[in-house]
Amino acid sequence: MQLTGMLYGSRLLNYVGFPTAEVLGPEASEDEIQRLIEKHGTIFIKPLFKGGIGKKGKAGLLGRASNLKTALQEKERLYFVEHKVKNTTAKAQGVTFEGGVPADHEVYFSITDSTRYRAPVITLTHKGGVAIEELEKKYVAEVPFDALTGLKAFVIANALSDIGAPKEIDSPLVQQLPKLWELFHHYGMTTLELNPIRMMPGKGGRLVPVACDFKCGFDRDDPRWERLSLPHHLFTVEHSDFEQEINQLRTYQGQSDVYVINDQGTILAPTFGGGANSLVSEALGDKAIISSDFGGNPPYEKMRDVARICYKHWLKQTNVLFVIGGKSNNTDIETTFRAMADALQDHFNQNGPTPLYVVIGRGGPNLIRGMGAFKDTLDALGLPYRIFGFDSAMSEVVNYALAADDWMRAGGRQEVNNLLGIDE
Amino acid sequence: MKRKGIGNFKYYVGISSLEQLATREDRVCVLNLLGGESRTVSPVSHTFSGGNIVFGTSPGRAGQVLKTKKGNIPVYNNVREGLEAGHHFNTGVVYLPPSGVRDGVAELVRVNPELRKVIILTEKVAVHDAREIRAIGQMEGIDIFGANCLGLADSWNRVRLGGALGGDHPEESLIKGSVAIFSNSGNFTTTIAQYLATGGWGTTTSISSGKDVYIHFAAPEFIYAFSNDQRSKAAVMYVEPGGYYEHDLQINKPIVACVVGRWKSKLNRAVGHAGAMAGSGDDAEAKEKWFMEAFGVNDIFTPENRVFSEKGAVVTNIAHIPLALTEVMNLSRIEPDFEPMGDLSLKSWFGDSKGLALPAELDVPTVEAIPPYKGQIQELNKQIGRIFPRTNMKDASGVSIMDPKTQITKLHGRSILDNSLKSLESNLCFALLREHNGPNDNALTNIAIAAQVNLYGEMTIQAADTAREAGNAPNTVLSAAIAMIGPNRINRQQQIIAAFIDLFSQSGLKDGMKEDFDLSNIEIPEGLRKLLVADAPDEKTEAILSAITERNAKSLFVKLLRDLQEPVHMDAVLAAIAMTIAWSPLARKRISKITAKNFPWYLTIYATLIGASVDGSHHQKDSYCGIPNESLLRSWTFGEIAYLTLLGNQAAPEQLFAFQVLTGLLVSNGPGSISSQGSKGAVAADGPETPNRVQINKAMIGFLTHTGFSHGGAGFEGVTHLVDAFKNTNLTDPSDPNHGLDLTEMARSFAIEYGKQKAALKESTGGRMKAIAGLNHPVFKNKPVNTDPREVFIDELFKKREQYNVFHEYYQTLARQLFEAGVTHNVFCVNIDGVIGAMLLKMLWSQYREGQLNSRKLEVAAFTIFLYGRMMGCAAEINDHINRGKNMDTRTPASQCRYVS
Repeated sequence: MQLTGMLYGSRLLNYVGFPTAEVLGPEASEDEIQRLIEKHGTIFIKPLFKGGIGKKGKAGLLGRASNLKTALQEKERLYFVEHKVKNTTAKAQGVTFEGGVPADHEVYFSITDSTRYRAPVITLTHKGGVAIEELEKKYVAEVPFDALTGLKAFVIANALSDIGAPKEIDSPLVQQLPKLWELFHHYGMTTLELNPIRMMPGKGGRLVPVACDFKCGFDRDDPRWERLSLPHHLFTVEHSDFEQEINQLRTYQGQSDVYVINDQGTILAPTFGGGANSLVSEALGDKAIISSDFGGNPPYEKMRDVARICYKHWLKQTNVLFVIGGKSNNTDIETTFRAMADALQDHFNQNGPTPLYVVIGRGGPNLIRGMGAFKDTLDALGLPYRIFGFDSAMSEVVNYALAADDWMRAGGRQEVNNLLGIDE
Repeated sequence: MKRKGIGNFKYYVGISSLEQLATREDRVCVLNLLGGESRTVSPVSHTFSGGNIVFGTSPGRAGQVLKTKKGNIPVYNNVREGLEAGHHFNTGVVYLPPSGVRDGVAELVRVNPELRKVIILTEKVAVHDAREIRAIGQMEGIDIFGANCLGLADSWNRVRLGGALGGDHPEESLIKGSVAIFSNSGNFTTTIAQYLATGGWGTTTSISSGKDVYIHFAAPEFIYAFSNDQRSKAAVMYVEPGGYYEHDLQINKPIVACVVGRWKSKLNRAVGHAGAMAGSGDDAEAKEKWFMEAFGVNDIFTPENRVFSEKGAVVTNIAHIPLALTEVMNLSRIEPDFEPMGDLSLKSWFGDSKGLALPAELDVPTVEAIPPYKGQIQELNKQIGRIFPRTNMKDASGVSIMDPKTQITKLHGRSILDNSLKSLESNLCFALLREHNGPNDNALTNIAIAAQVNLYGEMTIQAADTAREAGNAPNTVLSAAIAMIGPNRINRQQQIIAAFIDLFSQSGLKDGMKEDFDLSNIEIPEGLRKLLVADAPDEKTEAILSAITERNAKSLFVKLLRDLQEPVHMDAVLAAIAMTIAWSPLARKRISKITAKNFPWYLTIYATLIGASVDGSHHQKDSYCGIPNESLLRSWTFGEIAYLTLLGNQAAPEQLFAFQVLTGLLVSNGPGSISSQGSKGAVAADGPETPNRVQINKAMIGFLTHTGFSHGGAGFEGVTHLVDAFKNTNLTDPSDPNHGLDLTEMARSFAIEYGKQKAALKESTGGRMKAIAGLNHPVFKNKPVNTDPREVFIDELFKKREQYNVFHEYYQTLARQLFEAGVTHNVFCVNIDGVIGAMLLKMLWSQYREGQLNSRKLEVAAFTIFLYGRMMGCAAEINDHINRGKNMDTRTPASQCRYVS
């Protein structure tokens, strides 16, 4: 759950009284844009992306205008622009118009949790406005601090002193930056980054830090972010319909993490346990439709719903239904298998049979009763299957599933169709 | 702000050796001891660890206990109360929901100065809270494990703290040895221990570290404590992408590191382990590199490419861990702890290729599982028939469901429209056995019904006739008859079926019609023989046996009777027939033993319901409705018998087809229909949790009493409407498309007249005209031209068979003319009741024309045919409720009832 840009960023910063650049949204009228230009001289036009995607400046996705005509041309250029960073492609859904902030100093500031220090940590430099990793280390302060006392002014003061920041920016930053801890810690954030903060001359020449770009990540297991009343649609772009549907079942009882690996895949692998998920996803590659962790001892109803949603979205294209996990410690195999088998029976009842080869590998409490329940259902549905004990290497079971998929692709699917009397 | 701990850590760490992690001296307090997960896990931990949980908390439940094999664990409202009661503990285990975890930890720390360790099992703890928990632990000098972990275990000390490492049988996985395990995955902590045993390696201490952003006791602390543990000669670490925990580890003993998750670098958000999102420079590839540098190796270890050093090896597949470890330890001349236990080759415990010709690599044979699973599988295989979990079945059904959008009901997952194309005898069995009959099953079903439909000399027909003479409707008449079919009437058949199941459950018999099945190992016990054998030959029984031969029906169980070469009881033959039909679904666990045992009871009730729907005069010693008994037994189908009963003659093939479609459509409207509710209520009242006490005949009476002229008479209303429309015509044959009637004009006249009356009524009294039976539907009503999908199905079905029905066409014409005349705002659909009425009247028209049917008889016929169909659906509900329901589960709580004054 990530948020970038000043449209919503400025609203969040306003909660804690941190100064921000003036921002207009995509709905801004020409008059409003004109007024913004008149007030600030220069304005920036930035594409509006949902979720978190960076490196927009480097990709030439930053428009700059000092008259309305240019501003509107930039708006047209950037309104639906596509932006690709590594594996992520985002499409803009509008632009923002942000008033230029004249300044001699640009500051980078972030708060996140550090696994090196096992504590919240700030990163601060007075040479901001560029990618932080490109700076010399002597200009970058990385300072852990105590979560219970929070980010105090002295932490900032010490950090600025360590990196030799110009003295005129010390006092305003020491005064303003601690406010960001309130935003970070009390609204369920995991990262907060302002880059740049432009140090704008204010009354009497005193500098005021003005946030000109905003990025943050929220912890989806922390309901505090809902206090911000952000529209939920800001985060929906991260999820497919399938993921969205599964996420609605997300409770603390049982994991329900899913990710669509390849929507053209042919192995549907509900996986139990984070470790098994990693191992199986790696081994199946793009044959896998989804990556999932349904462990954590989900109750029957939840497991049945999860299975129902998986089947609804993917069973039709599936060659191999592959239920896989290690030897569970506390996940009840009878409960989870019965739920998955019942959901499979329901799916066949409602949608008719579909050709499947079923491969199962699992261990854990009530194992044989669980395997028995699944076996009975598969027998009743007339599907071919193999069920492996936990004394079979999980990787071997994965290889077996891959071989089953190969066979299904090479005519096996038709044979199962014939077996079930399906005209596919 | 932090306490000074051991070593040179920048933060507090209190554990200097793995030996100290989970000891016999540790005493535990479990927060939320009675929570769902803790309730099942904690007793196993407590027992395995020699009774180390001193108390648990659960607000509002002080005074309760959690029972374990090592004695009861007391429960207090909070930690303070437990301490005040004199308990001491140094380890807190947290099973609270995520929102309560931080405060739970804070409280443990606040009130117990003896606290040294906290283990947090809870998943999805907010990072915000983890941050503060970390700070609390640092401030007070407490080692914290988790969250989102499965705790700690020590095979040497036989102690398990916190979570469920090793599941419900920790001793299976926690085998004493020389390898320490540290794993980001709780499941893999146990799985790796299991895999290590296949290489002859046991374990010392196992740590499930958790996998959140904050791992409080992480790799550096583990390595430090591992170094100082004399028992641990090597370690296995399972790590995932995310975090710098494994960077720059100071390793001085052999380690096999398993790093999995390269694929995650493709992702743009966290998946699986919350902390395991590929960030900058801490993805799987980076972590592999950190370990390779530490071990001085340049590649990943695989069985084919064995790259390792004295310091260790890096694998990416947990199955390679045992071999890698053995190779690494070999260099230090350290032998495994014990002989390898089993291996990791593919072992299929269950499998069925369903007759497909699979390639060799897929066609792996099923092998015996390791103990104790082998014994459990044997027990499972002994179990014949399905066992359904019991649940509250009020308004719920495991057999039928009506789709509220299409109004089409499915029975056992098949639409009743499709089922209606099957024969009546097949539908009869399908309702109970979840599978349609093959020809052999049909033949046997027909014989069973034919053998019991003639009620000559039976109390059943006397009761029915008495009820009929008293002016009762058909449902009441039939209730009187089947009240006579109580448990004692069926007891012998049930005993025989139960004995057959015992006799054959382990025989490998898959199909009851396989007369060539080897019976040499089957010995009939004396008790069963007594039930089967009759004192003297019985004419009726012999006739049934002859009919079986005549119809060339196969039955292993009937063969078994014949092989006795003694006169057999008629109940034995009927039970053998029922067993033959039910065996296959029973063997494949489609149905339960309860259903198999009750199946002949349903057959007897079905036959009685049909027989009792005509009066005693039709039941003669040698014939039924004028047809010789022998003829019925030898050649008649159940459908033909039912048609004969209702209409008095033998059906032509198309008539029989239409009759079967009609009854098929009436089978079920889902568990919400009144008839279903009646039958389910009757079962609930008897108490299905003691299934032998449920009186199925009474349950069927429950169905019958919950039908009536409203629920069951809809077809009659359609018939009445059609009779009014056609009585003054010269129609003789409704199946003749050249009937010579101007249906449009007939419909138009009716529509205009109806419209006038409707307008007049509205003007005079503001009242509304009674709706026209058979038209319109509350669901299918908002299109310009509406159709009921069930009507469309029937219309197309009979058009395809070139079977014309003038009444059906009239209904369609009427719907159109009502719209044309401005009476309706759109073209109403012909609903399913209209279809039933049209089909029914087509069957009865000639008798009506001949004056044999007055209005009352017409109504009785319409009602009875409804009962013929619905008895099958309700039998299915009854059987389902007996198998799944709970005692009295159909009642409505008082809070949901209303008082109306």
